[in-house]
Amino acid sequence: MTPAIDFRANTQRVAPQMIRGVQLATQRFLDNRGKLVAELDTWEALRQAAHEIRLHTLNHLDHYLEMLERNVMAAGGHVHWARDGAQANDIFISIAREHNVKTAVKSKSMASEEIHLNDALERAGIRVLETDLGEYIIQLAGTPPSHIIVPALHLTKEGIAQLFRDKLGVVAPADPARLTEIAREKLRAEFLNADLGISGANFLVAETGTLVLVTNEGNGRMCTTQPPLHIAIAGIDKVVPDWDTLTVLLKLLARSATGQKISTYTSFITGPRRADGENGPREFHLILLDNGRTKILRDPQTRAMLKCIRCGACLNVCPVYNHVGGHAYGFAYSGPIGSILAPPIIGVQNAAALPFASSLCGACADICPVKIPIPEILLHLRHRIAEGDRVDRAVTPAIFRTTMAGMARVMSIAWLYRWGARIMRIVQAPFRRNGWLPSLPPPLNRWTSVRPFPALQNDFRDWWRTR
Amino acid sequence: MNRRTLILDDIRASLGRTVSASPIAPRPSIVPPRVAGAIEQEIEKLIQEVNALKGNARRVASSDLNVALRELVRAESVKRAVLWHTPCLRQVDEVLCTLGIEIIPQDADKHALAQADLGITEADFILPETGTVGLLSSPDKPRSVSLLPRVHLVLAARQALCADLHDVFAQAKSHNYLVLITGPSRTADIEMVLTIGVHGPQSYHLWILDD
Amino acid sequence: MTVQVQLFITCLADQFFANVLKRMVVLLERLNVQVEFPEAQTCCGQPFFNTGFQSSAREMAKKWMDIFARTDGYIVSPSGSCVDMVRHHYPELFPVGSREHAQALQLAARTFELTQFLVNELQVTDVGASFPHKVTYHASCHTLRGLGAREEPKTLLRNVKGLELIPLTDEETCCGFGGAFSVIYPEVSQAMLEDKIKHIQASGAEYVVALDPGCLMNIGGGLVKQKSNIQAIHLIDVLTADYQP
Repeated sequence: MTPAIDFRANTQRVAPQMIRGVQLATQRFLDNRGKLVAELDTWEALRQAAHEIRLHTLNHLDHYLEMLERNVMAAGGHVHWARDGAQANDIFISIAREHNVKTAVKSKSMASEEIHLNDALERAGIRVLETDLGEYIIQLAGTPPSHIIVPALHLTKEGIAQLFRDKLGVVAPADPARLTEIAREKLRAEFLNADLGISGANFLVAETGTLVLVTNEGNGRMCTTQPPLHIAIAGIDKVVPDWDTLTVLLKLLARSATGQKISTYTSFITGPRRADGENGPREFHLILLDNGRTKILRDPQTRAMLKCIRCGACLNVCPVYNHVGGHAYGFAYSGPIGSILAPPIIGVQNAAALPFASSLCGACADICPVKIPIPEILLHLRHRIAEGDRVDRAVTPAIFRTTMAGMARVMSIAWLYRWGARIMRIVQAPFRRNGWLPSLPPPLNRWTSVRPFPALQNDFRDWWRTR
Repeated sequence: MNRRTLILDDIRASLGRTVSASPIAPRPSIVPPRVAGAIEQEIEKLIQEVNALKGNARRVASSDLNVALRELVRAESVKRAVLWHTPCLRQVDEVLCTLGIEIIPQDADKHALAQADLGITEADFILPETGTVGLLSSPDKPRSVSLLPRVHLVLAARQALCADLHDVFAQAKSHNYLVLITGPSRTADIEMVLTIGVHGPQSYHLWILDD
Repeated sequence: MTVQVQLFITCLADQFFANVLKRMVVLLERLNVQVEFPEAQTCCGQPFFNTGFQSSAREMAKKWMDIFARTDGYIVSPSGSCVDMVRHHYPELFPVGSREHAQALQLAARTFELTQFLVNELQVTDVGASFPHKVTYHASCHTLRGLGAREEPKTLLRNVKGLELIPLTDEETCCGFGGAFSVIYPEVSQAMLEDKIKHIQASGAEYVVALDPGCLMNIGGGLVKQKSNIQAIHLIDVLTADYQP
């Protein structure tokens, strides 16, 4: 069972390199995105269309999933359904064992990180190699990803060079091009010799049973072309109705994520290869993962988060994320989207810290290509945590609720509120320094440890009465 | 009750019903697709986009094809090549042979294909707006030819020009595979430093044939 | 016909920015607005709502609505976040079809943040103010994104005589207040504040203007911490600089 995420403790030990790396990346992505958005006069129309498409799909999710399944099977593929991570991992292992898989090459899949697939496969004696360069690096380093798109941001080229020397036993200069070449050489043989290729899916097109993969490095193509067996895992929320609606989402995805018009490779895979002479896997399996998504769907106030197309734009623009990086969130997804996905996926008790990891500034909602109202959902989850609702019991201890209710009562009684203010004016007088209070007792010391608290200046009501 | 049924029932219950909604609500309207400009402008746009991404795009007259191939082979130090097995590329095959290049058959196994320095394909579709080519797949048009070699050359005919993704998809959706390729493989995973050439081809050439 | 305004003073301004409230009264009266102050008001409930204690927020909302429902005219506040609470969240707190829900919708329609009231309702963009100083502007999040008041504050600032408006780098980035956020995650709040202060100092301005008491407390305290001479003031302070409370 995952222990509860202690966001505050995590933020107290963020490495400076994490911040440097994160801010370098997010600034670059935002600048590039900004240029492309400015030159596209259909941007807002695309966002609105995408929002409507995703909402429509969610409202008919059963219909489109059944269509997807039919078409994948008609194309010669296999479809499996997994309620949770444990089931998904079992399905993987069972297919792998049937095919005597020793080594698997894997292209990036956030769903697989949700379910800790690599650990499960390793425990079953299967060697799994991440092939996306950033994922390959963090797999060698044994650290979690720091950003959805660029997972190794928190490492320097010197650190990566040392890592390659230690783990790969090669001569490795601290030069990105040379390091990339080393990874290319090492992984090339692995691609060609692997028994299994694992991928996620950026989208699943119901109309034809097609898996869509968006990458820049070519590893996605390698994993889904060279090994004889291909297993893809994707959340049930990845389905889109048809190719026409897909164009809208593709036009938004790369621009929102990295500020590219389109990624280097976008693959559209419908089932295994059709003829023996054709390149591609002989066998294709798709695992559809629930893992909390039906729970998110059930609550109309959380449903909208399933529109997410995993672009990472909300991370890029979030001031909180930009000051703490991905590790502080303690979950496969970080930033604003991570804060709202975590409670339904890993449980509200474990993730209660995350919906509060926001100043509610709203920049994420403005930038989201599919218009997810993230601050609204954060507020809804905060309510669930503080007071409980039909979905989950409250996490905040009852004493807090009683105290808050008491405070609300006091603040609602006008004379009590006014007299309280008068008393506070007297009490704070000795602590004033030039109109500010440099230090206060707990819990307000959490404020004054950062900057002074303003002295009370509350004579408006008296002024009004005497004018 | 199997997992499939459980999940689907759960979804329906979440949406407040017990069966699929019928009839399906109308699909939301799509933003109208881009309209193509004049052909020469489209080609200019294509070349501009590809070159901005560190690809090498240019027009090549059919009469200059041999010379262009010789130059490419020399510049990229090509010893072995693999080509799509299509009518248009047969003459390219012959030219390469005369240049002393070893041709690996396109139906060789992946380990043999991986020995090729140069992979040559046609373009089934061209999208000038983003500098993208679209390739289908078949035993004569292996996926690995545009993936395994370190150099990828695409020979594109004007007929393959499409105005918008919608047009590409309308034609490609009935096939079992499509890849959209936009420039050479790249990453910025290490300190956001752009590196060209990762797992896919390191060098990408697009020649628009002029007849 | 004289425009009537009910002052929605907000708990933070009530306690920490009495002078801003006095200036607001003076400003409105100079514009021939009839100003009333429903004295029974205390807090709109936003701090409770934002921390998830919606049942407490609901009680306070009912109280607030009772007080203001008995009044006529515009309800105007110097705090964008509090207006956002009333306009967007009050209706959400009550079931559709209930008396309170209808009341919330009516009151929301009458409730305005000051700059939006001045520019969009009173159609006033120049109040004849003079403030010959270098000023930079921080766009408070709820005012900007919650209420869409992107242009109104700047329009008012640009019409102030002698005022040199200097652009602020990352003007629209949150200052790190976020209400309870500042005490729940003080380290992150600090990091965000430090960035904001750095940009304010780099701007070369003598004053930084914001439209939310929360931002002013945070940024003001941050400037004091850095021993800066730059002062954080409300837009109202600029528009009534000649008045001494």
